[in-house]
Amino acid sequence: MGTILIVDDTLFMRTLLKNILFSGGHTIAGEAANGEEAVAKYKELKPDLVTMDVVMPKVNGIEALKTIKQLDPAARVVMCTAVGQEQMVKLAIKSGAKGYIVKPFQAPKVLEEIKNVLAS
Amino acid sequence: MSEFEQYRSLFVAESRENHENLVNFLLELEKGTDQNAIDEIFRSIHTLKGSSASMGFADMERLCHTMEDVFQLIRNGSAVMTKDLSNTLLSCTDLIEEMLDDIEAGGDSSSKNPDKLVGELKSWLGQHGAAGPEKPKAPAAQKIPDAPEECGQSPEIPTSDAGPEYCMTIVVAPDCMMKDVRALIAIQNLEALGTIHTMQPSKEAIDEGKFDGTVNLTMASEAGEEALKTAALGTEIASVDIRQTEAPAAPQATEAAAVKKPQEAEKKQPPASADKNREIKNLRVDITQLDHIMNLVEDLVINRGRLKQIAEEHKIKEMDEAISMVERSVSELQSLMMTIRMIPLSHIFNRLPRVVRDVAQYDHKEVEFIMEGGETELDRSVMDGLNDPLLHLIRNAVNHGIEAPEVREKAGKARKGTVRLSAHRDRDNVIIELTDDGAGINIEKVKKKAVEKGMIAADAAATLSTEQAIDLLFQPGFSTADKITDISGRGVGLDVVKRSIESLKGTIKVDTVPGKGSTFELLLPPTMAIVDVMIVRICNRRLAIPISSIVEVANFKKDGMHRIGKGDVTMLRDEVLQILWLNEMVGSSDRCEILIVVQYQKRKCCIPVDAVEGKQEVVVKPLSNFIGTTKGISGVTILGDGDVVPVLDINTMQE
Repeated sequence: MGTILIVDDTLFMRTLLKNILFSGGHTIAGEAANGEEAVAKYKELKPDLVTMDVVMPKVNGIEALKTIKQLDPAARVVMCTAVGQEQMVKLAIKSGAKGYIVKPFQAPKVLEEIKNVLAS
Repeated sequence: MSEFEQYRSLFVAESRENHENLVNFLLELEKGTDQNAIDEIFRSIHTLKGSSASMGFADMERLCHTMEDVFQLIRNGSAVMTKDLSNTLLSCTDLIEEMLDDIEAGGDSSSKNPDKLVGELKSWLGQHGAAGPEKPKAPAAQKIPDAPEECGQSPEIPTSDAGPEYCMTIVVAPDCMMKDVRALIAIQNLEALGTIHTMQPSKEAIDEGKFDGTVNLTMASEAGEEALKTAALGTEIASVDIRQTEAPAAPQATEAAAVKKPQEAEKKQPPASADKNREIKNLRVDITQLDHIMNLVEDLVINRGRLKQIAEEHKIKEMDEAISMVERSVSELQSLMMTIRMIPLSHIFNRLPRVVRDVAQYDHKEVEFIMEGGETELDRSVMDGLNDPLLHLIRNAVNHGIEAPEVREKAGKARKGTVRLSAHRDRDNVIIELTDDGAGINIEKVKKKAVEKGMIAADAAATLSTEQAIDLLFQPGFSTADKITDISGRGVGLDVVKRSIESLKGTIKVDTVPGKGSTFELLLPPTMAIVDVMIVRICNRRLAIPISSIVEVANFKKDGMHRIGKGDVTMLRDEVLQILWLNEMVGSSDRCEILIVVQYQKRKCCIPVDAVEGKQEVVVKPLSNFIGTTKGISGVTILGDGDVVPVLDINTMQE
């Protein structure tokens, strides 16, 4: 169980993910709709974990991840990704992301990954 | 599917935004390469794909996925956008819109078959040498040349690293998506604990996607077997085999805990205070709920009037004060509700560039479309009714207004025509202007057509003023188009446009200069729900006349009345005014003493009434559909004393 910041540019995805995380007993620290907001919210909320969408307006997920990792090298960031984005995810992992979840989200897999990353 | 039912409306709402974004940037891209547009398109399609997949709308996902593949190539510069491709993609967006309509109505997009479009995109992808979106799915292991099968056989085993040497086999779960990424995570976690000496397949190969699910490696680490196993054993890792290959150089394996990152301890801060979470500043509200609130506000307005009347009758001072307090709150609530219901015109404007582009392309015309004032706000109900007429006018402007490029050149104009749509607020009205720099309306052609259609006699036509001739355009069954095209002329004429605008309590006006172009001006009330009316009395019955239609109130002298043809007229100062008797509506009265002079556009006429009761703000409730069209009445209102009073509609009354 941990506090989680959800970053995605669509309210739909955020809601979906939020409900999955709730069902796993996690606390939602906050939400952000783009990379810029994500960084600001991370500083403010200091969540245990961030779920980060890759494709977003303004600042994308990879750049936001890098900034967050600079601010806090121990930050746990899980990328939200889709089939076909392997290269992006690899880039994210190399940049310090701790895990990834694949859309369309399957609740058990999402919760497993979150649990594992929180435990790491 | 049912577990996602709760997200349906949210899905539709956001997908529509993304759809709109997609269309607009596709059009933007037609003007020339624009990296921002490409990125935006990619993002919108990507989001549409992801959301539809999450909801289980397979057909929509398939379509979006293929579109995304296409854009991936354009985005990374492997292919360029062409007119044909743009057309196909726009057809795809049309289908997406239909799918969204279907989904909104409770369907699952399967009634709209994307096969044809997906096929077209796939063949385009085939021509542009794309096997897949990002990584060609190469059969993994076979490509790696003579790799050692067992670990420990690696040619160079560096000895400089501290700790014992381990040999590991990591197997990624077979149902894992992106097995290579899982492997990379495991490898990265291991790298944090020691040094990897050999790896099969190599990290580079995994990076390129050449991975079949099993990785063998050797590494030196002081972290200990358990710590290494834990680091590698993440999500979707089916198994991790680990064994030590040589005698430990330094027996520190038990100090695994020391490796634990120092930050770990500080990390467990109390979760950021929960009250900071509640900073949602906007929320989506179902429009039916908003309508319901509006109805309640309207009821309040009516009952406020009733209370006021009771207080006046009984002369209770304390109640008067209380009522004036209530009144203030109700007024504020009412104006707030009005504001909430206002939405910017860009809501419907944004769809129009696509329309212009399609019509222009169909007609082989070149048109520059300019929009201004999209931020002007209108009540939602007005907006709803405005969409179709506006669409029709825009189609007309391109189809009938703008000339073919060659014709324009001959006339000494630029090849490219301009259609300008602008909106602004003017005191109590919103004015929308649609201007084209086309040929203008050919008045003689209009007259000729009207005569041909038997709408008017030839001699009468000859005497018509320009203004009157233009009025003919708005008569039912009139169309100057030489042939019925796919674009306009769908049996919907300007008469329907006019009627729709009038049903919104608006007016439409046309200005045209031959050879220079035309301007259609729509004048609309920003809101229709609450109207200022004058309450009048005829034969002891009450009627409400919208203040906006009234120009003057005068004394009525019976002896000043004359009969011309079938109608009565009266003189008011030097003006001859037609009299509208409301005999049919309320019965004939011989006690009329007051004339209400009303005006619709430039036509003035007058209504004789017995008495004027006063001015009031009322809520106009439209008449139910099954009553049919009622000329002269726009709806009814309930006054404070419970009396139901018809509200006159001067526009239709004069016809």
